[in-house]
Amino acid sequence: MDAQLEILLQIQDLKGQRRGLEEGRSERQVEEEAFNLRVDEALTGLDEKIDQVMEELDPGVRRRYDRLAGGIDRAVVPVINGVCYGCFVSVATSVASDPAERAKLRNCDHCGRFLYFLD
Amino acid sequence: MILRDFFDIEAVKLDLEGETKDEVLKELIGLLGLDDKSEGILFKMLKRRENLGSTGIGNGIAIPHCRSLVVNRLRLAFGRKPDGVDFKAIDDRPVRDFFLIVAPPLEVSNQYLPVLGKIAQFAKEPDVPEQLGQLETPEDFLALLEAKSI
Repeated sequence: MDAQLEILLQIQDLKGQRRGLEEGRSERQVEEEAFNLRVDEALTGLDEKIDQVMEELDPGVRRRYDRLAGGIDRAVVPVINGVCYGCFVSVATSVASDPAERAKLRNCDHCGRFLYFLD
Repeated sequence: MILRDFFDIEAVKLDLEGETKDEVLKELIGLLGLDDKSEGILFKMLKRRENLGSTGIGNGIAIPHCRSLVVNRLRLAFGRKPDGVDFKAIDDRPVRDFFLIVAPPLEVSNQYLPVLGKIAQFAKEPDVPEQLGQLETPEDFLALLEAKSI
């Protein structure tokens, strides 16, 4: 897997975790009640971590990510069974079936999101 | 669905070998059968969740959990470390029983939180730690879940 893609996945996971705690009332409740998590402190910690990991992106990738993340909910999406789960359009078979191509940092030809292949 | 339905027998290990929190987390992740890169990303996410606050809920039980893009469906694993390890649990006691829960960020079936809640409920039943300690095979673990009907 491309190193930049690995960083993008981490950022997206952290943002997903943050979104779950901030917006998901049930998630917040489970974390507070079952795990005694101090959610507000956790959100601050996550923000710091996101900023820190973002610094690891190459400038070009960061610019593209910022552009995407500013306009859509998820800038990094899986490809499952050859379909981009951002726009649900099929990825070229020549890419989806080639392990070397799948490992590269790549954007969907249709919606522009960063792709990672998950089977 | 009941908890039993979410566990594969291959994802149950009653003799974890890890001696530290990190080693146990890695071993639990290994039960999910992901590729190396995905395991690495998942480990970082679980560590970050633990850094926010331990998922050791007391009575020797921990429920490490997170959402991650590296899985395409809800995945669970159970591991037992008979001697326990320091997991910075709420009650400061060593943790012996580990339930790992990982879900994709957008989970169509929306089972992540209900399952997390069910496991927390299961883990807090007073007789559960003793029953988990008496398990001899992974099949026993699944039978226990089935008997509890949670």
